[in-house]
Order: sequence, then structure tokens, then C-alpha cells
Amino acid sequence: MHRYELAVLNVLKDGKSSSLEGILKKSGIGRDEVLWALENLSARKLVSIERRQSTVAELTEEGSRYLREGLPEELLLRSLKKSGVSVSELSGVSERIGLQWSKRNGFIAISDGIVGITSKGKEALKSGITEAMVLHEIAENPGRYVSISERNREAADNLIHRKLVSLSSKSEITGISLTARGREEAVHASGDEWVESLSKGIISGKGWEGVRFKPYDVGSPVEREYPAIRHPLRRIIDEIKTAYVGMGFSEISGPIVEPSFWVFDSLFVPQDHPAREMQDTFYLSSPERLSVKEREYMKQIGKAHRDSWKGEWEEDIAEQALLRPHMTSVSSRFMHSIIEQIKSGKAEIQLPIKLFTVGRVFRNENLDYKHLADFYQTDGIIIGKDLTVANLFSTLAELYAHIGIKIKFKPAYFPFVEPGVEVFAYSERAKEWLEIGGAGMIRSEITGMPRKRVNVLAWGLGVERDLLLRDQTINSITELYGKGIGWLRQRQVV
Amino acid sequence: MPVITFRMEYLSRLIGKSFSKKKLESEALALGFETERMDDKEVSIEITPNRPDLFTAIGFVRALKYFEHRKTYLGYTLGESSPSFEIFVEKGVERVRPFISAVVARNLELDEDALADLINFSEKFCELYGRRRRKIAMGMHDLSGCTPPFHYGAYGDEKFTPLNATEEASFSEVLNEHEKGVQYGGILGGNATALYPALKDAKGVMALIPIINSERTKISSKTKDMLIDITGTSEYLVGKTADLLASIFMDLGADIERVSVRYPTKSDIFPKAERRYLEIELSRMEQEIGVAIGSGNMISLANKMGYEAAIVGRNMRFSVPPYRLDIINEQDIIEDIAIAYGYDYIAPITVPSIGSGNLSKSSVLFSRVSELMIGLGFSEMLNSYLTNEKANFSEMRIAEDKDYVKIKNPKAESITMVRTWVLPSILRSIGLSRHDRMPQKVFELDLAVMMKGEKPSEEYHLAAAAAGPKVNFNDAKAIAEALLHSLSPSSNILKYEHPSFIEGRCASIALDGKVIGFFGELHPEVLFNAGIEEPTIGMEMNISALLGE
Repeated sequence: MHRYELAVLNVLKDGKSSSLEGILKKSGIGRDEVLWALENLSARKLVSIERRQSTVAELTEEGSRYLREGLPEELLLRSLKKSGVSVSELSGVSERIGLQWSKRNGFIAISDGIVGITSKGKEALKSGITEAMVLHEIAENPGRYVSISERNREAADNLIHRKLVSLSSKSEITGISLTARGREEAVHASGDEWVESLSKGIISGKGWEGVRFKPYDVGSPVEREYPAIRHPLRRIIDEIKTAYVGMGFSEISGPIVEPSFWVFDSLFVPQDHPAREMQDTFYLSSPERLSVKEREYMKQIGKAHRDSWKGEWEEDIAEQALLRPHMTSVSSRFMHSIIEQIKSGKAEIQLPIKLFTVGRVFRNENLDYKHLADFYQTDGIIIGKDLTVANLFSTLAELYAHIGIKIKFKPAYFPFVEPGVEVFAYSERAKEWLEIGGAGMIRSEITGMPRKRVNVLAWGLGVERDLLLRDQTINSITELYGKGIGWLRQRQVV
Repeated sequence: MPVITFRMEYLSRLIGKSFSKKKLESEALALGFETERMDDKEVSIEITPNRPDLFTAIGFVRALKYFEHRKTYLGYTLGESSPSFEIFVEKGVERVRPFISAVVARNLELDEDALADLINFSEKFCELYGRRRRKIAMGMHDLSGCTPPFHYGAYGDEKFTPLNATEEASFSEVLNEHEKGVQYGGILGGNATALYPALKDAKGVMALIPIINSERTKISSKTKDMLIDITGTSEYLVGKTADLLASIFMDLGADIERVSVRYPTKSDIFPKAERRYLEIELSRMEQEIGVAIGSGNMISLANKMGYEAAIVGRNMRFSVPPYRLDIINEQDIIEDIAIAYGYDYIAPITVPSIGSGNLSKSSVLFSRVSELMIGLGFSEMLNSYLTNEKANFSEMRIAEDKDYVKIKNPKAESITMVRTWVLPSILRSIGLSRHDRMPQKVFELDLAVMMKGEKPSEEYHLAAAAAGPKVNFNDAKAIAEALLHSLSPSSNILKYEHPSFIEGRCASIALDGKVIGFFGELHPEVLFNAGIEEPTIGMEMNISALLGE
């Protein structure tokens, strides 16, 4: 216990209630120290403090000045003692105030512009103006308004009205006593210099000298704090973006609402391919169709379809609006515009060009704990000359190494790439290799250029699963969406 | 991905002595096919849809044997031979199902396993490659029950005894009542002209195409001679399917005979089973794969994948077997060479970069906005972009907007549209966690889509909400001001009314006279609808507008 606290406790030890003044007198320490000690003791429920609300009268700044210099009417009367003065001579602020109040109290009379002192004025000068006396009374005895004597009450109200005295409501300590716990503590209280809470006073007043700070129980429970955090999926998306940028890739983006053309036709997916069927893809009734501005390219693709798939190909089907089921539509749009630039030969294009995108894709799945209707994918393309499958493997392995995931490759089929590759990552949890995406070398039917001149490496990879591979506390990709803050508060950031 | 199930006993018999389950699994994987399930009786393997030649145990084992260099190259071609039967195509059928081809296989020695494999192949092939029989369908007939000549045409409502039935039924009855008729009748378009494609011989109907065969021509394990009809909408694929079937029967040890198809104005012969050659520069193949292979090795790799290969100058000439329906051009062969080489053995080579990469302008802005929100104590939420009218409009006290992105084929009532704003999503998040400690402060920065005329307009919105017993309008304003101080100092906060917010406790964020966002105290009805039990403030702001988008 701090010595100030101990001093206060010692005064109260007899069990009687004491006033603040009583403690001040008996404890032998200063007012601030007593108040500080009382605050601490009361917070620990060792003392109980009784307070009374009361109205207190105090001099205002103007009131204090008049106390020193005299009231304006007093000064005026003194100056009038000998002879009358012309009103026009009394032009100062103070003189005008004095004139006002002297006249109201009947201390002066004005005739023909000359101010003369009355007998009441002379009497007041002799025995003192009541207001001045009350001013002194309040100044000497700052405190309760009610203690002002009855006969002076009118003058006091005048002073309040003149804003020389202000009234305010104050809380006043009326009694201090020990609580039951305080009485107990007082018996055992030792004079150790324990400081409970550090305060501004202790720091600036060097109150730490010769004192000890009360230790906390490290094991006792505290109320939990929850930091505001980013969503774990966003964090891994940021990591993926950083990895791409570090590998020399630039970010691109594209619409989620697309005509089928960029999603299927431009990727060489036959118009009767099962992946296009209603049950897998979200088709739209508004907008129902989206026109493809790249008419020439559409013709080229249509011809490639008819030649290779030996079936019908209709523009109408290519312009059906849908929600993109993969991010390759974005790659396809950019690949087309860059290939066009290369073909036109207008601008010198430096190859390879490396691009990536991350965004939401949509599948018309039956929703359950394993399936989401929308989720994230990342796509990347490298447009260059003489690119190889070995280049593709290197790029993907490096990308995943950045986010701490080991991968391997397996042959696979996607209509728009040849060779096609499926990417697998090892799951420590499932103890097996899981498919995380597809990749390959874009068919020349899509670029409309022989691969000898330009070839393109492309891939599309899931994102949610990367997080599941890394964070064993997340059990299913459906956990990542639409959860409340409770879920987020349980997550570990590292 | 198609999953094909083979009988283990049959598979091991076809593979021979060297069979082991482990080897089967690893070789299938090396070829790109994952084993989904395996026990003593059966194995289910995922076959990529471009390889229907592997939908039979016969074809699959053929590929494995080539891969192990245990099979010498067989061209699967047919020498000159004149057709043994004719199919006359009658006028009118071109309007319903225009093309037909056929294969005759003689001197078969089938057993139950081989028969089951053939039937399974036919089902899977027509389902997957034939697009549920619409594009291609096939029917297998016991030739001993048939009497030429054969006719293929579109007929009126005739009677026959369908496969496995005891009584006769008319075409229309089959379509309306038979399981297969109900399943595939849609292909005939339920046509009002009531023309039914059918294959007939001298005795009558052999098959209602592409629905069901007749009981009369039913095949069994005792069938010695078989006629297989192939019909469809693509002349090319109908012909190629005959080649594929011929390869299967050749491996089964049968003798293949040709069939002449006589259209009213032309005629054709099937199966063609012709040799096809593709030439590719050796250096081109090595270049695309990224490894030095050499011509000797290249021939060996080609053989592993079932090609006969020869060096012709600087090129490799590949003979493509007729059953490879997937080989469009040289790119497809390069993939096969890469597979034969082994993806695991292709050593990675880094692609050099020209200059450094960069994030998009919006990505940079979004991460700054998110940083600000975290700094203000808001946690980040993630929600589906998909919603329904109730959640997006009515629960937010908004009259339904006519123009928004609507889903044509929803599978669930909960998903009928793309959200037009983000705030409803995060309010639902708070509703879900209403029993967690308050105050709760959350945000989401992601896409919302509106319709601007005929075109969708995709905008990134920042939505934020805070719930707790002491939350009020002033908190919302303080947050908005804190954000605008950094993001858009020239924006103004103005009086605003929005049905989701309490009247008089809502304000807009305006930039250059345009409202780009709003915030305020959410209306208690909105909170009630979201399951929130504490006062809540909300904000929605179009961040794309700050990018001048």
C-alpha cells in the first residue's frame, strides 16, 4: 500500500467518519495527495465517500477585480465627494457603470447635467456599500450560497445578476469512513510503498521514487480483445498477387457477365459440349444477350469450330449472356487483343508478355457443404515465342512455392490447350494429391497464328483450396463465405 | 469427367501375366487417367471425354499395351474389300436424323465379360461423346436374326417388339411409355409430323432410332455375327464412329465387313478405316515440350502412344490410327509425345521477364481502402455475389428494381440474381453473429452489378456496418468523414433519404454532384429482417467511382 493511502487509512482507523478537512489535518499530507489516496482506496472499495451536491457562489473575474479596485459606484461616489461633476465628463466604461448603479440605488442625483451626491450616497460612503461587503464575504468564505446572511441576500442576487458572482453546482465531500473491507485492511496495512495504478501525477511529480508497483496476477483472466482482421482468403489472394508481380506478371481484369463467346467459343469449347449445359452454367434472362464487338475474330473462331468439330456453329449461341464459370474469359480477351497487335505489326511488341488475373467465377451447382455457387480463381498467361511445356511447369512451380505449396503435373484434356495439364497439390490433411487447377499450351486455332510464331502458356487455378491446404483450422471452402464475425474472431493470422 | 468402370477379372485377362493393380493405376495416371475407385471386382477410371476409344476395356488395354511396348503396331486399317450389305437411306429421314453408317463383325467369340464391356461402351459412348444420343447413337444387332435388304428411313407410327419386351408396341407408345422412350424421345422433338427414324430389314423394324432396338435382333454372348448401326447429325462423326467400332472388333478377333450406305443422291462405304498421316518437324516437337528427345527416342515415344512413326527428312511422319477421333492436327500429337516422355521428367525452365510486373490501379486502391477499414476497427467479410430479390430489395425496404442481372436457370430460390449492392450481404453476416460480443464492425469491398440500359455495369463497392447498443448516426458520419479525408477530400456529405435507413438519419456522399454513396442508421425493420438485435449503422460507397470508372 502506498504511504499516502496508509496515512489516510490510519486517520480513519478509529472507525469514525471524518471530513476531508479532518483527514487533511491529521494525516499530515497535502490536499492533492489525500484526494489521490481517497480515489484509489475508494476504487478498491476500502473507503466509502459520502458526497453532497451544493450550490457554490464564487467571484467571477470581473468580481475579483472590483474586490481589489472597488465597485464602480464606490469609485464614482468617492470622486463626487467634493464637488459636482458634469455627466459628459463621465465617459469611461467603469464610470458609466458606476453612474448606472449609483443612480439606481439613489446615491446620486442629476440636475442640468451635473451629478451630485445625495445624503444616501454620503451615508453609503461612510458605512460602506452593501454589495461591496457581500463581495468581501463571498471572497473570504467561498462556498455555499445558502450561507449568505438573509439581509445580504438581495445584494448577493444583485451581484449574481451583474455577473460579478457566479453560482455553480459542486459535489462536496461530507464524510469519509472505512468500509468493512477497509477496516480489515487497516489492521494489516503495512507501510510498503505499493503503487497500484500509475498516474500522470506520479510520473510528472516523480512519485515513483521509493515506491513499488503492485504486481498483477499473470494467471488471472482478462476480458478478450478481438483485432479487426482481413479475411483469410483475401490475404492469400494478396500473397498470390504479390508472387505474380514478383515473377514479372501484370494484373488484368474483365467482366463477370460475359457473352458465351469469351467463355466458351473463343476457348474452342464446342457448342454442344456438356460444360455449356444449363445445369452447370448460370445463363441470364437479363441481359439475355451480349453482342461481341470483335466481329472478325468471331468469324475466325466460328470457322475453326466448324472445321475441327465437324458440326454447326451459331453466332446466336455465342452471344448468350452468362456469368463466367472460369477466369479464362479474361485471359482470352487480353490474348486476343495482344495477338491482334502482333498480327498488325504496327507496334513493336516485346515478348514474352506475362499477365494474371484473380476474380470470382460462378457454377450452377447444387449447393452443399462442399460446393459454392461462386468462388475465386486465378488465371495467368504468358504470350511469347518458343515457349515450352518446361516453361509452364517452371512458372507454376515457382508461383506455388511462393505460397508454400508443392505441386505436380499430370496429363489432362481441355479443349483450348494442347498439351493439357492438370495441377495437383499434396494435402497433408487428406494424405493425397488434390487437383487444384488446369494448364496448358493454347491451341493455334484460338490465336489464329502458327505456334511457331507465337505461342501462349495458360492456366486457371483455384484459390480457396490453397487456403485449405495451408490452414488446417478451416475445414471446408463453404466456411469461407457468408460467415459472421464469430468465425473471423477464431481465425489465426499467422 | 467420364468415369468408366471395368471388370477387374476381364481387364487382367486382357492384360495378361504382367497384370498388377498397382501397375494399372500408375500407368493409367501416366497416361492422364486417374483411378477413382478400385477393389477386387471392379476399377473405375476417369477417362478424359476426348478419348472415347478408351471407353472399352478392349481399347483401354490396347493403350496400356502400347505404353508398355508390349504390342506391335497394328494399323487398324482395312484392305480393299467390297461391302457385304447395303443400307438404303430413304428420302425424308434427313429431316429427322440424316446420317447413318454401319459395321459388320463376323466370327465373334464373345463371353459374358466381353458382351458386358461392349454394351457398357455403347451406353457411355452415346451418352457422353454422342451427347446423350443426340449427336451419335448406335445399335448392335445379331445378324443371324436379320434379313437384308436394310432400309433406314422416317416412317409413320409402326409396331415392333422392343428389346426385352414380350408384346408389340407402336413407336408412339414406346416414346410415351417405355423408359428409354421417355428418356430420349426429346431428340425426336416430339414432332407433330409424327415421323420416326427406324432401321428395317425384310422382316420389319430392327430399331426405333435413337431410342431402342427390337427384341428380334437382340445380341447375346452367343452372337457370332453382328451388325452395328450408327446414326446421327454429323456425317463426319458417324463415319469416324464406325472406324472406332471396327478397331474394337478387330481386337476382339472378329472379321470386319463393310457396309454400303446408299443415300438417294450418293453412296458411301463404312467403315473406312483409312490410314492418316501427319508430319511434324522434329525440332518443333522438342521445342514445344522443352526437352531434347532425338529421332530414335521420338519413334519409341510415338509407338508408346500407338502411332507408327518414321523419319522423313527433318520431319517425323506419324500414322494416326483410325480410332483416334481426338487427333485434330499436329498439336494433339505433340501432347501425346509429351505424355509418353512423362510430365514428371520434363525439367522446369524459367521464362525470362521483360521489366517488372505490376498490380492494377484498382488492386492498389482496394488494398489501401481495406487498410483504412482495418485501421478503423472493421473486420473483413466475404460473401457470395449471388442473391435473390427478397434479400437484395424487399428485406431492405426497397421496391424491386426492374433492371438487374437476372439468372435464367436458377437451381435454388436463394440464388436468382447478382447483387446490386453489398450492404445486405454484410448485414446478414451480423445477423448470423448476433450472439457474439458487441460491438461488431464489419466491411466488404467487392463487386455489385447494376444494369445501365442493356449493359451490365460492374462496380466495386465498399460496404461497412457497425452494430452495438451505443451506435448512432454520428458514428456513421465520423467513419464516413475519416474515409473521405483519405479517399476523396472533395466529396460532400449531404442530407439524403433512403428506405433502408431511418428518415432523417441518413446522408449521401456526393462527388462532383453525383451521389457515390450513402450512410446512416439502419431502419429497425431492416435490422429485424436481417436478424440483428442492436442498433446498426451502415454505409455503401462506389469505390470504382473514385477511379473515374
